[in-house]
Amino acid sequence: MEQPDATIHQPLRLKIMAALKALPDREQIEFVRLKSLVGATEGNLGAHLSTLEQAGYIDVEKDFDGKKPRTRVRLARSGRRAFDAYVEYLREIVEANGAR
Amino acid sequence: MPISTSEAQAALSDIAKTSRASATTYGYRHASPHLIVWGVIWALGYGLSYLRPQYGATWPVLVLIGTVASFWVGWKSRPAQSKGYDWRYAATALAALLFITAIYAIMPPRTGLQAGAFFPILIALLYGLIGIWTRGTRMLIAGIALAALTLGGYFLLPQYFMPWMAVVGGGALILGGFWLRTV
Repeated sequence: MEQPDATIHQPLRLKIMAALKALPDREQIEFVRLKSLVGATEGNLGAHLSTLEQAGYIDVEKDFDGKKPRTRVRLARSGRRAFDAYVEYLREIVEANGAR
Repeated sequence: MPISTSEAQAALSDIAKTSRASATTYGYRHASPHLIVWGVIWALGYGLSYLRPQYGATWPVLVLIGTVASFWVGWKSRPAQSKGYDWRYAATALAALLFITAIYAIMPPRTGLQAGAFFPILIALLYGLIGIWTRGTRMLIAGIALAALTLGGYFLLPQYFMPWMAVVGGGALILGGFWLRTV
């Protein structure tokens, strides 16, 4: 990877991807839990989730839990691959400079 | 958009921190209903052992109910990608049951008090170890609290040990379960 993935590179989106990657494959997390995990405001998190969803990196599901609206998010397969590649890219930078 | 080494290191550190927090929260969310189930079982078991000591079937029946409830909770909250039941839960329960049976056969408790204190100490150890290995501070605190309450009741209030364990031991597990859900 010559250039970092600009979608994941943004710090909050990176945290979102890391939080989702730590879950078992295809497992969802509720919006409110994700918000507290990454320390974001509701509006800010919503905007970054939209960006990640448009890139095809996450799946967002909106439904109702009883009468309460609920938003759940999970990492898509392409998101998992992109995140792994981004982490590898960061490691290569650290290792390349550490080896000098 | 080149990234410097320090930026890359900071990003990797952020990733590690967030991943750990996410995994811990996930673990708490899954452990929480089990703590609540067993808190209720303990409250009923120790309470009935104190109020109706003549009912010998109290604990076997309650342990069976608790085990079935735990299986159901594990099934309901199984990871999305899993196709069936994770038999490691059943194997864990069986290993624990065999271990306790072996310990009781080798060193049979001389009093009901000893029998009643051993199991909570074992569970406290389990929670403590889970807390240590998963860096789950809340699980570690739950284990320490359970051990302290059990030992406190055993040594300081032996005549009230059963109601103590019903209210404080069972209550601590139930509250601990709800506490894990707040993360």
